[in-house]
Amino acid sequence: MISQATETLLFYLFATVSVGLALATVLSQRILRAAVYLMGVLVTSAAFYILLGAEFLAGVQILVYVGGIVILLVYAVMLTRSSELLEDHPSFVRKGVAFVAASAFFALATGVFSATRIGTAGDGHAPAAVADTTLEIGRRLLDQGATGYVIPFEIISLLLLSVLIGGSVIARRSLAKAEETK
Amino acid sequence: MIEQLATLAPGPFHWLSLTVLLFAIGIYGILTRRNAVGILMAVELALNSGAMNFVVFNKYVAPSAVDGQIMAIFVIAIAAAEVVVGMAIFVTLFGHRRTVDVTRMDQITDAAGTN
Repeated sequence: MISQATETLLFYLFATVSVGLALATVLSQRILRAAVYLMGVLVTSAAFYILLGAEFLAGVQILVYVGGIVILLVYAVMLTRSSELLEDHPSFVRKGVAFVAASAFFALATGVFSATRIGTAGDGHAPAAVADTTLEIGRRLLDQGATGYVIPFEIISLLLLSVLIGGSVIARRSLAKAEETK
Repeated sequence: MIEQLATLAPGPFHWLSLTVLLFAIGIYGILTRRNAVGILMAVELALNSGAMNFVVFNKYVAPSAVDGQIMAIFVIAIAAAEVVVGMAIFVTLFGHRRTVDVTRMDQITDAAGTN
């Protein structure tokens, strides 16, 4: 009972922080600050993963998102001198359209899943939860059987390799061109 | 007090409301930002909430398997790939146009200096 009470408290605490930081990310006028707020959102997401019992995923989230993606975004901001491009206030029409689209999505999605009876597994006849999710994830990722994920895993590694090559080729061409024009 | 809090423990509805709200904030950011890097950040916000949805369903619908968590790992890996390509494209665009303002990207040809 204590653990459930703690879970409730932590859920609402992190949810408030996460939504506030997400709003700050999209509303901030300064793009570097938006990157820092985004980092905060991703850290609270890692906390959510721990609350959901996915410890390995929380670690991956911190390593890849916070340590990799946000740093890349900061590099992108600096390489494109975006910090000098202050976001002017978007026009009223633009804001209005965006707000209507976002809230329509929220209303529609909330309506759909509140009308759906989600077949939760906690109704007494459920099989036990996985004890060691990290071990199970590793086993499933490298399992060659019908329920294994070894082929998607290999495809992802190929995708990352091609992204590595493609990214460096695209960026290098522009750097070479910038050298020529100097 | 503690009993009351324990009965209020978040269920799938609460978790899904949270992820949908984060996704909607991401949509708002995608539609209002002018800076391409800002749009990329809003896309990351939306992707992150999508990945969290997989984990929520993993916990509440199929706790005896880890398929949802594996899908979330794939989403994170593809998000990393997307950011790398996006950053390379923005750096190239900046080299050609000296700006990453998406409202001024209305030409296909390389017309540096004309706008």
